[in-house]
Amino acid sequence: MPAPILPESEGLSVSGTSDDGKYVYCIIRSDRSHDFGTIGIGGGQRVFTVAYRDLAAVVSDTPIVIYDPTRENVLAHEFVNETVMREHTVIPMSFGTVFRSDDDVTELLRSTYQAFSDVLDKMRDKIEFGLKVLWNREKVIANLEHENDEIRRLKDEINRHTSSSTYFARMQLGRLIEGALEEMGTRYVADIHEALKAVAVASRSNKPIGDRMILNAAFLVERAQEHSFDERVKETSRRYEDLLTFKYSGPWPPYNFVNIKLKLEKAD
Amino acid sequence: MGLLTTLLFFPVAGPVAGIRWSLSKVQSVVEEELTDDTPVKQDLMELQMKFELGDITDAEYAEQEVVIMARLREVREWRERFGRPTTGGPVRVAHDDDKG
Repeated sequence: MPAPILPESEGLSVSGTSDDGKYVYCIIRSDRSHDFGTIGIGGGQRVFTVAYRDLAAVVSDTPIVIYDPTRENVLAHEFVNETVMREHTVIPMSFGTVFRSDDDVTELLRSTYQAFSDVLDKMRDKIEFGLKVLWNREKVIANLEHENDEIRRLKDEINRHTSSSTYFARMQLGRLIEGALEEMGTRYVADIHEALKAVAVASRSNKPIGDRMILNAAFLVERAQEHSFDERVKETSRRYEDLLTFKYSGPWPPYNFVNIKLKLEKAD
Repeated sequence: MGLLTTLLFFPVAGPVAGIRWSLSKVQSVVEEELTDDTPVKQDLMELQMKFELGDITDAEYAEQEVVIMARLREVREWRERFGRPTTGGPVRVAHDDDKG
């Protein structure tokens, strides 16, 4: 075994001296060994497989450390999974999972063999896409004023009178717009889900990030449907061209649809 | 760390009258604040989003990432100290033959 190269200090906090640790990226079904090249976390470690029966963990050597979720580290983790998933169905591990030895990895595969097998069957030929939708608030509001008679009427009224009596009209306008915005947001989200429902197996909504985002979702899609899903997303984004920004990413391993929590202190 | 600051500056900052915290209550509230990584993770996601949207530069991202990583480590250290589970890092596996 080549001596592991200790990465530069950033992004790492060393909590041990052992060099035989294994960083686990994902689990695949395979009955032969693989070498995915020197693309691993921590400065291009070799990525290979540790097998148990027809299951294999995709790993690279690592000291026993805690990896910070820096952009560099997260991208390395994701890049390995993307590479592996080109030819395999993968169960992705959560970022930063480090085992102390080969034996521990084999023990994980042995003790959870059935569960991993079942999940691999369920996830077979399925991939994930991420879709974040942000709105252009000003444009949406302009649109609202155009379409909503009451908002337009109030606005005209405010523009005609400049005295303080319009204070309440302004307040009312603010409330009206807020309410209408919320309604619009809900409607957009529902429309987008509706448009994509037929080409996805499942979807999951996560909490929006920041105040411009109205949708933060993941979609599970059959590999064979990838093209149709793609088309449908593009078509939908064209429909809202000025109002909404679509951030579309993937294909990913099914990060949002496989949830394996590792509590291995008591492996049975 | 709003509450923590309040607690640290308590004798200076606030009127004490009528507020009786039992020691254990204060401890558990402080523990809750120190070990909660939700706000840090939220900040990290927002930072990533800003970067993806081109709202901030590479350098700005790197600069803020350092700060967030430090906060994450801090929370992790507290979690370990209070014996709470942490995500990522070394996983301990008990083998059948060496249990106990």
